[in-house]
Amino acid sequence: MRNLIIFLRRYFNFFLFLLLEVICIVLVFRNNDFQKTAYLNSANSISARLYNRYNNVQYYFHLKATNDSLVNENARLHNILRTSYDSVTLDNLVKTDTIRTYSTDTTRKVIGIELRRYLYHAAKVVNNTVNAPINYLTIHRGSANGLRPNMGVIGPSGIVGIVRSVSPNYAVVLSLLSKGRNFGFSARLSHSKEMGTVRWYGGDAGYALMEDVPKSVRLIKGDTVVTSGYSALFPENIPIGYVESYSLTDKGSTSYTIRIKLATNFYNLQYVYVVDNMLQDEQKSLEDSTYRLIK
Amino acid sequence: MSILLRNIIRFVLLLLLQVFVLNQVLLHQLVSLNLYMLFVLLLPFNLPRPALMLLALLMGLSMDMFMNTMGVHAAACVFIAYLRPFIINILSPQGGFETTQKTPSMTSMGVSQFLTFAAILVFLHNLVFFSLEVFGFGNFFYLLLKIVCSTAASIFLIVLYELLFFSKK
Repeated sequence: MRNLIIFLRRYFNFFLFLLLEVICIVLVFRNNDFQKTAYLNSANSISARLYNRYNNVQYYFHLKATNDSLVNENARLHNILRTSYDSVTLDNLVKTDTIRTYSTDTTRKVIGIELRRYLYHAAKVVNNTVNAPINYLTIHRGSANGLRPNMGVIGPSGIVGIVRSVSPNYAVVLSLLSKGRNFGFSARLSHSKEMGTVRWYGGDAGYALMEDVPKSVRLIKGDTVVTSGYSALFPENIPIGYVESYSLTDKGSTSYTIRIKLATNFYNLQYVYVVDNMLQDEQKSLEDSTYRLIK
Repeated sequence: MSILLRNIIRFVLLLLLQVFVLNQVLLHQLVSLNLYMLFVLLLPFNLPRPALMLLALLMGLSMDMFMNTMGVHAAACVFIAYLRPFIINILSPQGGFETTQKTPSMTSMGVSQFLTFAAILVFLHNLVFFSLEVFGFGNFFYLLLKIVCSTAASIFLIVLYELLFFSKK
């Protein structure tokens, strides 16, 4: 017995070493049934919290790339939306970018071909003002990417403005926030389908006025004001704003003046989508030639 | 700064550095950057062996906790902690190291001796570590290459650490 104790004391270090190593190896082997050792993996509170903190920081540095990818994703989704296509008859000319619709029964007959009408380009806002009487945005997309003057620009939540001039890589957008008697957006109340014109009269960048809405219409506070689709610039039903309050201009007036809260927050605009209406030229030339006929 | 405080700080610093910096760096599949075992290497000379092994176990288990490799780091750390006194005995001149500093470093041991010391222990650490990690000697040549490359990388990092944190006295 005495000898055994002496032996153990002499080789104490070695036995401790063996013990610890055996513990480690056992841990390695037991790693598979993870429930038993769940308190000692990265799911425990200390390391999980640290990892979480670290990830928060790391996530911040990747925000730029994340944003870019999300915007591209959005543009791609916009481009495959049904509303970006326009129905045509079958005997018409063949365009490459179309959606075919089939009948639902077993014959799967082609019942329609829809032609691409709107093409969206994502663009980064590089300069933006909201305080001037006429405000402009500069966006990082230009004629090299197919932008032309007089294209509609929409933001993530509503319309933004109209492309005014383009250089190879940049474009200047006339913001919705621009005072001017002849600068307005054709709009429609989504509840009563009544038409009107949205204009901005300076001041608060969060609000604009909708005019020319007849007195007969029943107005609802909070109703959405959307694009009418009559102008060739914007697709139909893009939000412009929400009815905040309304009043008659004066006693004898026949139309309401509606104060609307703009859907787009112009203070933190980061990305916009430029709407390319493929049929704009056709619509425009037809309309112009008709006017000339009447004159 | 007392030796105790210095070692506690080094423990935390090396752990965080290893988990959040070095393990995020992907150089090559053959090279994994390991620096945390420097904690075991730089414990004081006069620390009794059981304490040395228990501290190494603590460091190894902390690493395992972060890396989800239960016991692999710990086994490697305890292994080099056990062998460390032998290596120091072999490398030390007659009568031991006569220096004011109580911890192994380039200044207390001399550059060549410290590098030999570090190289042997890091190699042994990586040997145990990668063998346990792969578990099996199926691809022996690959394993050996990985051990050698990682050891070289670790020694490079240790030299950098030494140059950063130890002034020449």
